[in-house]
Amino acid sequence: MAIALKSTGPRQLKNTLARWLITVGGISVLFTLVLIFLYLLYVIKPIFESAKVEPVGQFEIRSTSPILSTGIDELKEVAFQINQQGEINFYQLVKSAAHEKGSLVLSKNLLGDKSTDSTTLVNVVDSGVENKLLLDSEGNVQLVAAKFFSNFDTGTREIIPSVAYPLGEEYLEIDENGVAFSQLSFGMDDEKAVFVGFTDDQRLIKTSLIAEDDFTYDSAYETIYQEIDFPVDHIDEILVTPDMALAFVRSDNQVYVYDLDDEDVVELKATIIPALEQSSTKPEHLTSMALLSGSSSILLGNSAGNVTQWFEVATDNGRQFKKIRSFKVSDNEAVSAIYTEQFRKSFYTLTPSGSMGVFYTTSEAELWRGQLTPKQPTAFAISPRADGLVVIENDLLKIFSVKNEHPEVTWSALWEEVWYEGYPEPEFIWQSTSGSDDFEGKFSLVPISFGTMKAAMYAMMFAVPIALSSAIYTAYFMTPGMRRKVKPTIELMEAFPTVILGFLAGLWLAPIIEDYLPAIAMLLILLPISVFVTAFAWHKLPKKIKAKVPETWAPMILIPVLILAASCAFLLSPVFETMFFGGDVRQFITNDLDINFDQRNSLVVGIAMGFAVIPTIFTMAEDAIFSVPKHLTSGSLALGATQWQTLAKVVLLTASPGIFSAVMMGLGRAVGETMIVLMATGNTPILDWSIFQGMRTLAANIAVEMPESEVGSSHYRILFLAAFVLFVFTFIFNTFAELIRQRLREKYSSL
Amino acid sequence: MISVSPKILLEPQVKLDLNNLAPEQVALEIKNLNLYYGDKQALQNISMSIPKGQVTAFIGPSGCGKSTLLRCINRMNDLIDTCKIEGEINLHGENIYGKHVDVAALRRQVGMVFQRPNPFPKTIYENVVYGLRIMGENNRRVLDEAAEKSLRNAALWNEVKDRLHDSALGLSGGQQQRLVIARAIAIKPEVLLLDEPTSALDPISTLTIEELINDLKKQFTVVIVTHNMQQAARVSDQTAFMYMGDLIEYSDTNTLFTTPGKKQTEDYITGRYG
Repeated sequence: MAIALKSTGPRQLKNTLARWLITVGGISVLFTLVLIFLYLLYVIKPIFESAKVEPVGQFEIRSTSPILSTGIDELKEVAFQINQQGEINFYQLVKSAAHEKGSLVLSKNLLGDKSTDSTTLVNVVDSGVENKLLLDSEGNVQLVAAKFFSNFDTGTREIIPSVAYPLGEEYLEIDENGVAFSQLSFGMDDEKAVFVGFTDDQRLIKTSLIAEDDFTYDSAYETIYQEIDFPVDHIDEILVTPDMALAFVRSDNQVYVYDLDDEDVVELKATIIPALEQSSTKPEHLTSMALLSGSSSILLGNSAGNVTQWFEVATDNGRQFKKIRSFKVSDNEAVSAIYTEQFRKSFYTLTPSGSMGVFYTTSEAELWRGQLTPKQPTAFAISPRADGLVVIENDLLKIFSVKNEHPEVTWSALWEEVWYEGYPEPEFIWQSTSGSDDFEGKFSLVPISFGTMKAAMYAMMFAVPIALSSAIYTAYFMTPGMRRKVKPTIELMEAFPTVILGFLAGLWLAPIIEDYLPAIAMLLILLPISVFVTAFAWHKLPKKIKAKVPETWAPMILIPVLILAASCAFLLSPVFETMFFGGDVRQFITNDLDINFDQRNSLVVGIAMGFAVIPTIFTMAEDAIFSVPKHLTSGSLALGATQWQTLAKVVLLTASPGIFSAVMMGLGRAVGETMIVLMATGNTPILDWSIFQGMRTLAANIAVEMPESEVGSSHYRILFLAAFVLFVFTFIFNTFAELIRQRLREKYSSL
Repeated sequence: MISVSPKILLEPQVKLDLNNLAPEQVALEIKNLNLYYGDKQALQNISMSIPKGQVTAFIGPSGCGKSTLLRCINRMNDLIDTCKIEGEINLHGENIYGKHVDVAALRRQVGMVFQRPNPFPKTIYENVVYGLRIMGENNRRVLDEAAEKSLRNAALWNEVKDRLHDSALGLSGGQQQRLVIARAIAIKPEVLLLDEPTSALDPISTLTIEELINDLKKQFTVVIVTHNMQQAARVSDQTAFMYMGDLIEYSDTNTLFTTPGKKQTEDYITGRYG
């Protein structure tokens, strides 16, 4: 008769089912983790991608005269060019219901009524995205703007171009004497337009047009003429900042900076003299100049192929223009033109051979380099959204798409010191948003990573001694009856919502610590001393009295003693304050010690987060100590060791893997903790170990800023990166902890 | 009074009168010892004298109190909260339950080896010198010497001399037990208590330990608890039979096993219960 070796029937079924369920459960946990990891990477990835410039189309434009300027609408559907004859021609770039691709949509003569046949445009000056200042051969000046409107009448979107005259259709009288300009630049907003020009009779003048109401509705204005003292008789280039505060005047190898804010007199504010190599056979000279978005930086291109960035920096001798950084654009060619983006700190460079470079100033990143046209284009424009380029060269209008979403983010910008505009030196700064549109996000992960470490460190400094000593006492010295009550009570603390701890810390504890700072310092000394004194007194007490207190309750004597010590500290605190600190410790710390004191500081966080971490450490450490086999302790005691010797030399040693895990678990919790640090730290992203200063942690940073950040923006992705860094932090901690624990366990685990 | 030199004591043919030992012959004297675990009395009025330089075995069925009695001798029962002890145990004529006795000092004179080998998670060397280290001995040479001597005495030296600084947990069970014995004798106690030292070991290790016990009695007074009557017969000079917390019979091993004086003893050694 055959014996069935296989289990059959329901038993077999249960077995298989259980095995499958467990396998599926385990794998799905792993899978979820990997998925989270991959999703984070997926969101982060674009910020580290380099820029892409790709041609999307080109067509021939039949123009009889040279082209002076070009431009494109926001949606990259219509482009225009302005030629020497004063014509503006709009071309359809994308096939629409009304127009074929490449067809001429609108053509208009921009020269005014007074012009003759021989009048031509000599120069077109760009300002902002749409404003074009036209200078004709008669010395007339006119401001035009290419406007685009969307029309949905045909059922599909149609971009309708038009030409507007923001300052009226009349010619502008920029020079009171009516002399033509060799150089002219301007800046304007709704209420004011400021022109700085160099006339053919070699006067440098400033002309302000003040709107009677608002240029958006009414082009009426009043004119103020001013003349500017100028030391030389030759000017290469003038730039007025869009906020009309400064004018940069380039003459040969120097740039004169004029302050335009003063209504009465225009003063020379500074002179920028870049260091240029003059000794060699090919002396260097400045070839181009551009204003960086935000109008505080100026970019200077030179004949050696370098672009340097300059801005004002506070120095001991007041604010001065300083060279901040430089970019190598070309090895042997001059930088013939620099174009800057409207809203970001990116810039494009061109050389005579037509090679283009794309750079980002703050992150010092070279984003792209390549050849768009066989030689330098006659007209070049960046689309309003900085996602495209229009280039006109040799009767060909070429459109390029630019994929350059996150130029400001590079590894070094995130982790190294960056010299931001207006700062006296390179620094680690996290400041993601501000009220101004020109604001540049400062995304250094260093201060917030540091804050995470700092918060965790202070929390551990508070929690580890308390948690470990209570674990040792509970596991090793406490009577079993008492232990049965104490342990679950402390474990219950772990379930305490951290948000409550957080607001208690921020709203209740922080003001108390601020008011009773000497008391807190005294507690540090008084509490241990009172414990030792009580223990000593207890030891010296006659046995008769001792016998009356049940052993279980003996430690309870400490409770009134501790309360007494604490109340002493708080009662004495104001006395101390008046005696030693002139009545106010805060003032004393701030003024006499010169230490910044925040109400929400590391001390508060250390205590609050320490409380959150204590149960975690306590529970695991207590388990580890308690599970040290009794035969090991008896073995040590039987050799004549005292309880303390046994504890120190056998118990803690054997429990060390467990104690170590407990501490690392606590650390992991402290690093990832959000609510407490969010509510009790003040969230100031600073790099400072001071116990009286707050901090901002990675977790709190994500909690604070994620709801505010625009989906898909650099800020948004960097917050994901912060999450990833947090993930990596905890991963490293845990791996490291596990490795050491395994090591210790191998060494000290007992039978 | 006749003075008895230790040499004579070691002569097996000299039979001791256990009820009437000369003070020099007594290592330990237990007087009217009662022990309670809470309300339950575990030892009842035990009185006996344990002779110096000999092996005394406690036998009896499980739960008879033989291990409890053994643990009384170095006050290991102190660790049990509910345990209450009355009576005296005298070592050098001094009651170890007296008022000013330092328990740690007592345990240095009365060493103990437990049923399960319990080496510390340290190296072999550190295990052996543990007792010396906690006494404050840190002189490397003294420690080295003591370690070698103890390991030789415990018949372990040849097996471990090349790996003194490896973990003690890598030793086999029998080796671990001998290591624990070496650790106990390193601090030169007068009395060595062995609590069923071979019950967790295989027969060959058991044999090694038994031979070791024979050697040890030359230097120490050995008290052994065993549930193995053959072992008691093999290693001990005196045997005490206990039953339900009472000391039933206590005489030299030969007599107890060949001509027991009490019916309960005879029943037990002939295997009628236990």
